[in-house]
Amino acid sequence: MLRYVALKVGRALFVVWAAFTVTFVLLFVLPANPVDLLFDPAEINAIPDEVKAQVAANYGFNKPVALQYLDRFGHALIGDFGNSVQSGKPVTHAILEVLPSTLVLASGALVLAVLIAFGIALVATATRRPWLRNLVEALPSGAVSVPVFLSGILVLQIFSFRLGWFPSFGDDGVKSLILPLITLAIPVAGPIAQLLVRSFGTELHSGYVTTSWAKGATRGSILVRDVFRNASLPALTIAGVTFGNLIAGSVITETVFARKGIGRMTQTAINTLDVPLVAGIVVLVAASFALINLVVDLIYPVLDPRLRATLTTGGTA
Amino acid sequence: MSELRNSIENAESNRRRWPWIAGAAVLAVLLAAGIGFAVTRGGSGAEAAGDGDGEPVRGGTLQFALIDYQRSPDPHWGTNYAESLIGNNVTDKLTWQDPDTGEITPWLAESWEYNTELTEFTFHLRKDVTFSDGTPFNAAAVKANFDQYVRGDQKLGINPNGAVLLSGYIETKTPDEYTAVIRFSTPLASFLQASSFTANSQPGFLSPATLKLSDKERTDPTKVIGTGPFVYESWEEQVKTVLVKRKGYNWAPPSLDHQGEAYLDKVVFNTIPEASVRTGSLASGTIDATLDVGTTDEKPLADQGFKIISRSVSGTAIYFNFNSQLFPTDDIAVRKAIQLGWDRSAVEKTVLTDSYSIATSVLNKSVQGYVDYSGSVLKHDPEQAKKLLDDAGWKPGADGIRAKDGKRLQVKLLGISNLVVNKPAYESVQQDLQKIGVDLQLTVVPIPDYAAQVAKAKTDWNVTAANRSRNDPAALNLVYNPKLGNSSFLTQGASTGIDVAEVTAALDNLETTLDATKRAAYAKTAQDLLVEKYALVNPIYNPSQVIAHADYVHGIVFDAQSRNHFVNAWKSNGK
Repeated sequence: MLRYVALKVGRALFVVWAAFTVTFVLLFVLPANPVDLLFDPAEINAIPDEVKAQVAANYGFNKPVALQYLDRFGHALIGDFGNSVQSGKPVTHAILEVLPSTLVLASGALVLAVLIAFGIALVATATRRPWLRNLVEALPSGAVSVPVFLSGILVLQIFSFRLGWFPSFGDDGVKSLILPLITLAIPVAGPIAQLLVRSFGTELHSGYVTTSWAKGATRGSILVRDVFRNASLPALTIAGVTFGNLIAGSVITETVFARKGIGRMTQTAINTLDVPLVAGIVVLVAASFALINLVVDLIYPVLDPRLRATLTTGGTA
Repeated sequence: MSELRNSIENAESNRRRWPWIAGAAVLAVLLAAGIGFAVTRGGSGAEAAGDGDGEPVRGGTLQFALIDYQRSPDPHWGTNYAESLIGNNVTDKLTWQDPDTGEITPWLAESWEYNTELTEFTFHLRKDVTFSDGTPFNAAAVKANFDQYVRGDQKLGINPNGAVLLSGYIETKTPDEYTAVIRFSTPLASFLQASSFTANSQPGFLSPATLKLSDKERTDPTKVIGTGPFVYESWEEQVKTVLVKRKGYNWAPPSLDHQGEAYLDKVVFNTIPEASVRTGSLASGTIDATLDVGTTDEKPLADQGFKIISRSVSGTAIYFNFNSQLFPTDDIAVRKAIQLGWDRSAVEKTVLTDSYSIATSVLNKSVQGYVDYSGSVLKHDPEQAKKLLDDAGWKPGADGIRAKDGKRLQVKLLGISNLVVNKPAYESVQQDLQKIGVDLQLTVVPIPDYAAQVAKAKTDWNVTAANRSRNDPAALNLVYNPKLGNSSFLTQGASTGIDVAEVTAALDNLETTLDATKRAAYAKTAQDLLVEKYALVNPIYNPSQVIAHADYVHGIVFDAQSRNHFVNAWKSNGK
């Protein structure tokens, strides 16, 4: 058991380190010089070389890449990612400032997505009307294929500009959160719902359900008492993995709804080659991803007695 | 087994149909209510009118939207529009350039003189100006600002950024408390205009206390202190910057005829990246005014009763700068043919709105010394263009594209996608050039990619397209002088058929006089060489900054750099 945990933790740490290193290499392989991007593009050619050199020295960009890497990595180990090149703000400070906004958005959207997915699966399995079942079963693939950008603009048009129920931009309070939540939840709900519809279907045809039927249980009670519980596990797993989807979707959601957040910050940081900021964000995202997967890995043996048995008898995971 | 189940299921069906009917009814009611609500709102939104012009009303908050956000509250450091715009309202400059005449008029400096070599500029400062922390504005403050602006401060992490605007800066002397003498190593006629500069990386004055702060400390907006009509209330990166009125402000540029404090209590700069959200928020009344209005949004907004105001960005037009060393733009016939080969009226009709104009020189009309070339080389004459190419030995190939010595007439263009008009305008040019046998290949990319490619422009790109925003003919010097920007890559010998010394001397001259007549003559010589004689540039259109605002908003000023000032702005509803 201890070996299993050590292995998983080691793997998580490796992922974070690799993310940091790959990003660093990529940033220095990119064609642009981070110093050039600090000036007006129409002026770059007119900026004297001494000035560029002085700016590069200010940020340590004049040192050999290997040295820069070791320097930044050493500092990163103690949680110091330096100052953002574009704003002068300490990177950790800048990230912590926008992180709560994204966390609220992402976790709220995830909860909403799971609710939508269960709703779809329950309706699809509970209904006895084929047209309704077909309609509801088509929803997940529809949800996946509508671009976040489009659905965002659409809900804004209706609920903000036309009806005036919700603010169209910014993040002041709960009211401004509702439309972004819905927008982001829709595409995330898709895959979870698809999986649920399928496992609901499978479970509904298993032996124990027939037993319940025979005992005279109603369709509703079978669904809620038996099928729901058994079909939920795989869906909860996939919900954890959807984290990546959420991050990608939040970039666009944050842009459309003009919210601050890690998604937009990442986009700007990459565009402006803000090396310290990109490094900080990547480590953070990689760490959260690794953490979520680690938690899933560690919870599995708790939920699944078969896996626990393998581990205690010394088998490999 | 499943048959059994079906029969059980069917046996209990038809029991509850009413919930569905009820559900459908509720949905229908909701929809109807929604539509009804929408219609009433749509009606009232359009007539949320004010009392028209008249006496300015004091008070109120202006909700303003733009596409960019301010990355740092330090006005010296901003290179995007949001940064220069906000900087203009927090800091003041030595002088104010009249947007209509280009004349330099007093502001924080009451008067000035300069030596004949134009290496020494003496400014006599107003004595009643204070920073919002109470510190007096004086010659020492000017010196501290310019020193740090030009040289930066490595210990504080402050980068040098005045290199282009104040090139050859030696020092600022302070013979008495309200006299500042700024000295340069070489003549710099354009410094007088630079003292009023309000665009990116501007020399707005910061309190000596602010200058002692590090880049990190300057991200606290309350510590960024200027003399301007507004002070920072808050700065939320990516979201908004809030400015509040400076109490006791009484030194707006005399040319603006504005007495005392700003009219508005507050200005909120909201960052809204998405165009339809900006226009939607304006139409629904959430914001009062928005910058960065797309060409296709202008008419619908005007039809809804919103006012569209704009000003052409002073400086150069959006230019196609030709690489004078790279095949095939090293051939003057090709460069001239490209100038003649495209239909300007088509771009005007299909791409531009009334807020924009087609370029008639490399300089914008508003810049002193501008000369009109629309009747000579900058016109649509495909026959003449074809003749030029024929005479130079470019023969049409099977696909219509010309070739010479087996090499196709293929011109690679690098452009920036930051202005919505760029790509469609370039595409229109591309189509026309195709007809005369020139294959113009477009690569129009975001600023960072552009910046990355510009480093390789000498060997990789025939045309670099951009513009330079500065209301002074010396902008040409910055862009084309082989000693500075050298955007056409002029090198004696390598640039076939071009007398590089002649171009250099003509551009150098622009910095040697402030005599209006002489300066205009020098500007004409420089334009003649760049546009006509050597055809080093193909000007396309004059970009604009366009604002749409509700009709109760008044007095938003576009300055000589086409940046906005809100000291004069007011809302007739006073809200």
